[in-house]
Parts: sequence; C-alpha cells; structure tokens
Amino acid sequence: MKTASGPWMATRASERALGRIGLYAALALAMFFAFFPIYWMLVTSLRPNAEVFAFPPTLLPQTLTLEHYANFIKNPQLLVYLGNSVLVATTTALGSLIISVYAAYSFSKFRYTGRRALMFLVLSAQMFPQALLLISLYLMFSELKMLDTYAVLVLSFTTFTLPLCIWMLKGYFDHIPTDLIEAAKIDGAGQMQIIHRILVPIVRPALVATGIFAFMRGWNDFIYALTLVGKSKQTLPPGLVLTYIGEFQSQWADMMAASLLVSLPLVIAFILFQRQIVSGLTAGAVKG
Amino acid sequence: MERVSPIAPATGGRRQRPGRLKDTQTAILLVLPAAALLLAIIVYPLLNSMLIGFLDKSLIYGGGAFVGFKNLEAVLNNEFIPVLGNTLVFAIGATLLPFFIGFGAALILNGPIPARGFLRGAFLLPWLVPSVIASFLWLWIFNANYGVLNGFLRSLGVLSQNNSWLSSGGSAMLAVLIAKTWQTFPWIAVMLLAGLQTIPADQMESAAIDGANRWNRFTHVTLPHLRNVIGIVLLLSLIWNFQHFETIYVMTQGGPAKATTTFSVAVYQTAFQAFDLGKAGALGILWMLLLSIVVIVYLRFGMRGEEDFA
Repeated sequence: MKTASGPWMATRASERALGRIGLYAALALAMFFAFFPIYWMLVTSLRPNAEVFAFPPTLLPQTLTLEHYANFIKNPQLLVYLGNSVLVATTTALGSLIISVYAAYSFSKFRYTGRRALMFLVLSAQMFPQALLLISLYLMFSELKMLDTYAVLVLSFTTFTLPLCIWMLKGYFDHIPTDLIEAAKIDGAGQMQIIHRILVPIVRPALVATGIFAFMRGWNDFIYALTLVGKSKQTLPPGLVLTYIGEFQSQWADMMAASLLVSLPLVIAFILFQRQIVSGLTAGAVKG
Repeated sequence: MERVSPIAPATGGRRQRPGRLKDTQTAILLVLPAAALLLAIIVYPLLNSMLIGFLDKSLIYGGGAFVGFKNLEAVLNNEFIPVLGNTLVFAIGATLLPFFIGFGAALILNGPIPARGFLRGAFLLPWLVPSVIASFLWLWIFNANYGVLNGFLRSLGVLSQNNSWLSSGGSAMLAVLIAKTWQTFPWIAVMLLAGLQTIPADQMESAAIDGANRWNRFTHVTLPHLRNVIGIVLLLSLIWNFQHFETIYVMTQGGPAKATTTFSVAVYQTAFQAFDLGKAGALGILWMLLLSIVVIVYLRFGMRGEEDFA
C-alpha cells in the first residue's frame, strides 16, 4: 500500500492547481459575458458620434463627451416620460403594498372557506399572459372612458404588482408567531391596531423589499403603457422605444445614454437594499 | 451575503404553525379589497379575452356576433403551427441557455475566487437592466453597420464582411435568445447559489475523502441537493418565457418574415395592429391551454410541502 505522501498527494495538488486555473478562466469568461455589454453601453454613451459611427469600433473611447446625456435632459418629451414613470411606478407600488398587507395577513393568520382558492388565484395570476389580458383591459377601460389616464396605468400595473406583493408579504407574515397576535388580542388590541402597531413595524424591511420589487416591475413594464395610454401619459420603456426605434432611429449614443439613466434608479436601489432584494429573489416569488 | 434558503423568505426563525385565528368575518373583510381587484382586473378580463375568441369582433368596427369555432379553425389552419414552433424554440432556448450559464456562474461564485462578495452582487447587474433597455443594448451590439460584434469578428478574421444578424430568421432568433439569456442568467445564478450554500460542507468533505472526484461529487452530492431549486427555476423560466414579449417585440417586432413571432407577439399584433380581436382571442385560447399545462406542473411541484395547499 502506498503512503499518503506518495503520488496520491501529488495528483491531489495538481488537480487543485488545475482546478484553480479552470475556475479563474471560467470566471473571466462569465465576467466578460455579464459586464462587457454594460461597459459597451457606458462607452458608447460617452463618446462623440464621430467615434460611435466609426467601424471597426475602438474598445477605448478616444474623446469623452456628455453631449448624449445633455440631449436627454434637453428633450422635453423624454422628461415627460421620466416623470410619468416615477409617478406611476411609485403609486402602483404604494397602492399594492397597502392592499397587500391586509390580504397577506388574512391569508397568513386566518383559516376560512375560499382562502385556498384565492391563494391559488394569487399565485397563478403571475403566470397569465399579459398580451391576452391586455385585449380585455383595453376594451374594458375604453368602455369606462379611462384610456389615456394615469389611473389606467396604475390599475393595469396592479395586475402584476398585487399578486407579487401579496405572495411575498404572506411569506414574511408566516414567520411571525401567532402567539404574538393572540397576546395583543388578550391585551385588548383590535385587528387594525394589531396590523398597524405590531405587524407593520416588525416586517418593515420586508415591506421595503416588496415595495422595491413592485416598483421595479412597474418601472420595467412595456406592453401596457405602450397600448393603454398616449404620448403624454406614457412611461419610459415604451417612450424610449417610440423615440429611438421610431423617431430618432440610429441615434445609438443618445439611446445608450438614456438606457443608462433609466437603469440607474434600479442599480441604486439594489446597492442600498442588496440583502433584502437577494433574499426576496430567492424566495422564488419574483420574476427573473 | 447571508445564507438564504431557496424557497422560504429569509426572515429567519422557524415557520409558524397555521394561524389559530378564527375570526372569519375580519379575515374576509381584510382580503376583500385585494380579491375584488383581482377579480375585476385579472379574472374577468382573462375569461373575457378567451370568450372573444368565439366572436367576430374588431378593435375598430366593433361587432361581436357569435361565430363558434370559426376563429379557432382559421388560426389552427394558418399561423398556429409556425407560432407554436417559434414559441417553443424561444421558451426552451431562453430557459436552457440561461440555466447552463447561470449554473456555471453559481458554481464559480461559490468557489474560492477573489472579491467574492462584491462579484456576487455585481453579477446581478444585467438582471437589474429593464428588458427594453437590454434589448436596446443588444440591438446596438448586433447592429450590422457599426455593431461591436461585427467589429470583433471582422478583426479576428472570422467574417470578411459585416453580417446583418437581425435580417435572417435563424440568427435573429439567436440574437433575441442571447439578449434574453444575458438578462436572466443572473437570476438563475442567484437562485442556484442560494441552493449551493445550503449544502453541508461535511457531505462534500466525506465524499472527497471517499475518493469521489470533482465530477462525482457534483453528480452525487450537488445535483441531488439542488433538485428542488432546479425544478422551480426551470419551470418558472419556462412559464415566463412562454409569454415573454418585450425583448422580441423591441428587437425584431416578430420578424424577419415572422421568424421570431411567438404567441405574445402574434396576439398583440393581431389585436392591436390587425385589429382582429376574434382571431387574437382564438390564439389566446390555444396559448392559455398550452401554458396551463406547464403552470399546473409548476403548482403541483412548487406547492409540494406547502402546508397551505396540502
């Protein structure tokens, strides 16, 4: 029998070295795939058009300019889209959160007939195709004379934010001991007091994470804002498509500057709330 | 980054027993606003959209005469098969490509690499970019005249002249898939990484001591441990990709020559560009039928062990 320090150890050591090299090579490849497009977005947005339209492109910018960012700020229509996005995504997130707190509490801490059916609906609601839903939403809101209003955007965004918020919050409420609520009841607290004075403070971080997810979904929506409202109420995603795929076709650098600006709020939110966002993500309730 | 279990939210602590609160009236009042909204803006419109599939209805001229299976028949005889084919290629491609890349990324990010905590966060960047923006970005990368991909391939000598990637069916589908892969692989990486972090270190060690090499440890310890997360990730991806709209619509509008027209694009264009609501509804019925198969599998699978659904 060989001793432990024989060829066996040598194989282990070389295997480990080889593994380390392979790991770093794979890391480099993955980083290139993940980050090169973002680098390219940034570089394109910062170089003058003369360089943008040079072929083959140089990997490093020769001169830097902020003109494409200035073009965004100087375009009043883009600022309208930006304002609409902020208004509608925020309103939707807050509204959905408020309604969801009560629904999630009801699902988490009570047992009654119809509860399972409703929860099933909430879970599957996130899997219904938007394009199909849109047909009837359009007809319905058209009949109610609500097309081209902020209300229609908030309501249509609620079709995906509400199930998301209910499902996430229910998950968090499930971890709050029922005894705590029973004790508060014995102390004479009403249900509303229990929710507002006990539950909400406990799950505040969860509310923040859920609110951010709802905001992101609203911020990213394309199909509803494209169809249900006109230019004055449209949000950034359809607005930018109409601008850069239509009106100002092939203004690539302007498009990349706008793209960075639109992504920035999400990146900042992520940096601030990374821990909550990652744990919300892995809870499996959030669209990837 | 803290350890998170793949399924339950990471608020810590054990899961509580089902609530003992029996105040049914309060419970129903609490859930009422949400339930009413869901019925009004999801259940009713969805059923109505499918009902429209049996009507002769136009977005411009109105109408609404019952025509039975006429729309379904027309759709089945025309666009259904190609649209189904494109949807399957997109849905399966946009599930498997990010899955393998995301799995690779998760294994890398779980390994002994420098700046691991930072990289775990940074790798989520593509996921944070909105779909429409990711589509813009890849449109620019794939651009025929000035795109960096053609620039790369030309300077490497792989191409002798610029290729216009989005003008031929096959490469257009591939371009859309790559854009979607770039945007979603981080989500899969995060999900699988969370699963990898729950594998007990001593299981790995004892397998190594037993002489299992890297590959055997992967197939005998890692994969079985991740089985649930992998199932959830694959099914959810499939469901979402089966109805994905933005990337395709922004990058190709379903073209060239309808080569990337999936159900979502077809339903949208039939309803809002050809104004034929009846036919769009009929396509929607078929779409929902196929989608519900995957959804039912998911609900069965995802709810296993969820006491609430037991």
